[in-house]
Amino acid sequence: MSYFFQLVVSGMVVGSIYALSALGFVLIYKSSRVLNIAHGQIIAAGAFIVYALTVWAGVHIIPSFLASMVITFFLSMSVERVFLRRLIGEPIISVIMVTIGLMSILDGLIYLTPFGSVNYSFPEFLPTTPISLGGVSISWTQLVGVIITAILIGAFSWFFKRSTIGVSMRAVSDDQLASMSVGISVPKVFGLAWAMAGLSAAAAGGIIGNITGLNFETLRAFGITVFPVVILGGLDSIIGAVVAGIIMGLIQQFAAGYLDGNWGLNGTADVLPYIILLVILLFKPHGLFGTHEIERV
Amino acid sequence: MSTNRWFATGNFYTTYEEEQRIFKTNVDRLFFALFLVSLFIWPFFIEASNRNMLVINNILIAVVAVYGLNLVTGFAGLISIGHAAFVGIGAYTLAGTARAIGDNHVLITHAWPLMILISGFVGAVFGAFVGLPAMRLKHLYLAIATLSFQMIFTWTINFMTFFNQGQMIAVGRVFWITGKVGRKDHYFFWYYVILVTAVICGLAVRNLLRTRYGRCLVAVRDNDRAADAMGMHPGLTKVYAFALAGFFAGVAGALHTYMFRGAGFESFTLHHSIIYLAMAIVGGLGTLPGSLLGPVAIKTLELQMEHLSEWAGTFLPATMNLATALRPLGFGLVIVLFLMFEPRGMANWWRICRSYFKLWPFRY
Amino acid sequence: MAVGLALAFMAPVQAAESYQLGLSLAITGPTSDAGNPYSKGVEDYMRLVNETGILGDAKVDCPIRDDMYETAVTKRNFEDFLDQGMVLFLSYATGANLALANDFTEVEIPVIPASFHKGIADASNYIFLPIASYSHQYVGLGEFVAKNHKGGGVPKVAAFIHPSAFGRAPLEDFKTAVAAGLKLEIVEVVEHGKDLDNSALLKRLASKGVQYVLCQTIQSPVVTLINDSQRLGMTAKSFGEEGKLTFLGAHYTGGNDLIALAGSAAEGFYWTTSYRLTSEKGPWTDWQLELAKKYGRDDKTANSHNYTNGIMAAQVAVETIRRTREAGKEINSASLFETLNQMNGDKSYEPLTTVGPVNYSDTDRMGVDTLQLYVVKNGVFRAEGEPFKPEFLK
Repeated sequence: MSYFFQLVVSGMVVGSIYALSALGFVLIYKSSRVLNIAHGQIIAAGAFIVYALTVWAGVHIIPSFLASMVITFFLSMSVERVFLRRLIGEPIISVIMVTIGLMSILDGLIYLTPFGSVNYSFPEFLPTTPISLGGVSISWTQLVGVIITAILIGAFSWFFKRSTIGVSMRAVSDDQLASMSVGISVPKVFGLAWAMAGLSAAAAGGIIGNITGLNFETLRAFGITVFPVVILGGLDSIIGAVVAGIIMGLIQQFAAGYLDGNWGLNGTADVLPYIILLVILLFKPHGLFGTHEIERV
Repeated sequence: MSTNRWFATGNFYTTYEEEQRIFKTNVDRLFFALFLVSLFIWPFFIEASNRNMLVINNILIAVVAVYGLNLVTGFAGLISIGHAAFVGIGAYTLAGTARAIGDNHVLITHAWPLMILISGFVGAVFGAFVGLPAMRLKHLYLAIATLSFQMIFTWTINFMTFFNQGQMIAVGRVFWITGKVGRKDHYFFWYYVILVTAVICGLAVRNLLRTRYGRCLVAVRDNDRAADAMGMHPGLTKVYAFALAGFFAGVAGALHTYMFRGAGFESFTLHHSIIYLAMAIVGGLGTLPGSLLGPVAIKTLELQMEHLSEWAGTFLPATMNLATALRPLGFGLVIVLFLMFEPRGMANWWRICRSYFKLWPFRY
Repeated sequence: MAVGLALAFMAPVQAAESYQLGLSLAITGPTSDAGNPYSKGVEDYMRLVNETGILGDAKVDCPIRDDMYETAVTKRNFEDFLDQGMVLFLSYATGANLALANDFTEVEIPVIPASFHKGIADASNYIFLPIASYSHQYVGLGEFVAKNHKGGGVPKVAAFIHPSAFGRAPLEDFKTAVAAGLKLEIVEVVEHGKDLDNSALLKRLASKGVQYVLCQTIQSPVVTLINDSQRLGMTAKSFGEEGKLTFLGAHYTGGNDLIALAGSAAEGFYWTTSYRLTSEKGPWTDWQLELAKKYGRDDKTANSHNYTNGIMAAQVAVETIRRTREAGKEINSASLFETLNQMNGDKSYEPLTTVGPVNYSDTDRMGVDTLQLYVVKNGVFRAEGEPFKPEFLK
């Protein structure tokens, strides 16, 4: 039974990291209807900045974690300003294509740094002995990761529900023309959405980097890995990202725990999320929590 | 009214037949004929190295694949992030047959045109199957459904021993009237096969768009509810768009397998799907010249960036990764800048250039 | 006039004879963390050859191309190099070698790959593996486990492999070795994915009584695996500790990168390769560090075993050319192929970067036959025992 609970706990931990990574997609999509394919690169950049600050500049991990979030906040905002501002109103697929090009650019920029080709790992700042309870264990890194995720997601939900800027962002996603007419600056909202996505990416990067070590390939692959999570949750729902993230985390752990190694199956954790995604989409075409669009001729 | 089409300034259609013509003017027809002829005869005048022939063949295969992608994404408006998987289906139809009956079986080496066609049809069947969610899904949700197909495809190929778990499955050398096509003539021979296929496919697409079925695609893209009201079936149209895309992709896949003399899963990954999408968009979605220009532009850009980084590597200090970084950096920058300033793709330049000549001496 | 012109064209050819080689590998993309230092190793050694005149007045020209781990690009590079008159090809990935094997055989060009998959040498007679194959490494690890297993009974092992041709390479031979009397029980073969958390896997292995995990993959999956194992408190403190897991790996799992990524979790990781490591000081390592310093490489590159790997491939290539020149033969694919085939007995080659001599013959396609076992102690790889040859695999 402890095997089952271990899978549940691991699944929840992985799931919450997925949720945090998926958050970046959701934030951008929610306001500007753009799917940012280059998100994985921003996650990687966030992780590398944390490392550079802690190890090379000698800053303590907590301030450098925060600083990294601030840096990617502005990095992401300037990406929006420079590359995407011009494209407001262009066909959505061109904009998505621009993010694909952006992916290539960020790849190139990261190859300029040592991180592109060399692997690093974070210094251990948390106890290495795991917390164990009745045969179920969780490492400190994972626990801290889950806590940060919970705080960030809570903060974003509050921001969209209660704060004036958050409400105006929701207004923009609903109807750009109408929100402009009441004095909301649409370009500013887009910039802010990108900036916040960058911030969440840095947090995700910092956590993943602590778990897997800093390998560029692994980190950037994350941008693609969380696609099914984003879609399953519904592209524009924060709570959807959380629920879908945890579902996917659990599915993967159960697949690895109960399917792999039996009947000659292997690596099912990589493919099962997509199969389940397809099945769910057949019944819920807008994901679990996505907004149903009302279409008119 | 100008009766002499050679000197027509502007469009003067008096019947629908006239508007639906493939070649609007005789100049068009002349240029197209010249273009085709030059494509067919240049290898006899210019000596191209194996490597250059390989690159050119590769571009032409991508052209065939992008026809399909442009049909589904450009004309029918359904974003597909799994096109490389369809190409893979075609490639593995051929490779799978080779594995089942031996890579030098008569069917593979002599009846290769048939094999290419069969691969196309298998691609179409899979395309239709993957298109089924399009009955219910829209926009990015549908795009992710195709992404799922991509992932499931890669995993299956990697998992099944029948497909050699993704390792190269070899395909024998084919025979032509003159006998076995050896290493020396390999790329030369396939250049013509691929060129003929590309031309036939191009004409097929052009003609398709003049028919009811082609216009149906565009109607569903522009507004599927309105199309529904006009008596078309949007769901079936989308499925059939995917089937068409699958067909072209399948043909491209079989050509790929023959030219590379085998199929391995590395050529059909998500990365390639994204590159196909880049080709279609940079070329110009929903245009036929775009399917031609896009692959040429992207592949040339890739090669030029490779040259650039190699050249930079000769004088940059070896400690820096600059030469390595230059390739993705330059590639991404060109694409991003291009789309920022010309989101409608290269086909738009082609259109502007044509209308300039057509309207001359007037400005518009 | 005509004579003058002819002389003008002849002269440079005689003054600086240049031999065309070519290397196509993944500097970016998958496995680039190995490919990057590898390319630097080849590049630096080739520069050293040209600057210090190891080949007399002749030069080697070895363009290096990034193929992003894509077979189609490798093929393009290969054709390009052939057009330039390449006499020996330095290749990289298992997949690409398998895909191009037919071409190698057709154009009869000797190839030195970075992949040590035994199958690629079977696929084409022109492929010369630089060191002991993955199969040898894997079986060698298995033998080490069988010999040093402390508790009673037959040691239970699990194979943790990369989901590709590269990962599956040694399995067949490993199973054959077990069938032939190697005292091991293969409990499970795991092809890993991109899991962030391997708790499920580790617990399952433990519940089946597995004590040893043999890895044949790249570093990052091993890192998540051993990190998770440490977190779950399942890593053995000493070799073969009962009820715990001991991890062992083949060439591409280990090296300083593994320690860089896994930190303290790498402690007690057993690893085998044919290369010498800079953490075990010797004249050869000083030589390597000096070479790296000369061309301005950073510490990480200088100490990477894949840098050594690249240097060694270049060494073999250059040595083959040198011997062929010495014998007074014209340098082409055929003569190099012949020279490589004669590289045995008293003609075997000592590159110093490996733990044994390189020897090939008409039937032997594996350069260095001996392997060295290393283990992580206090954050560095230390040699464990003497170089060995696996007994169950010839």
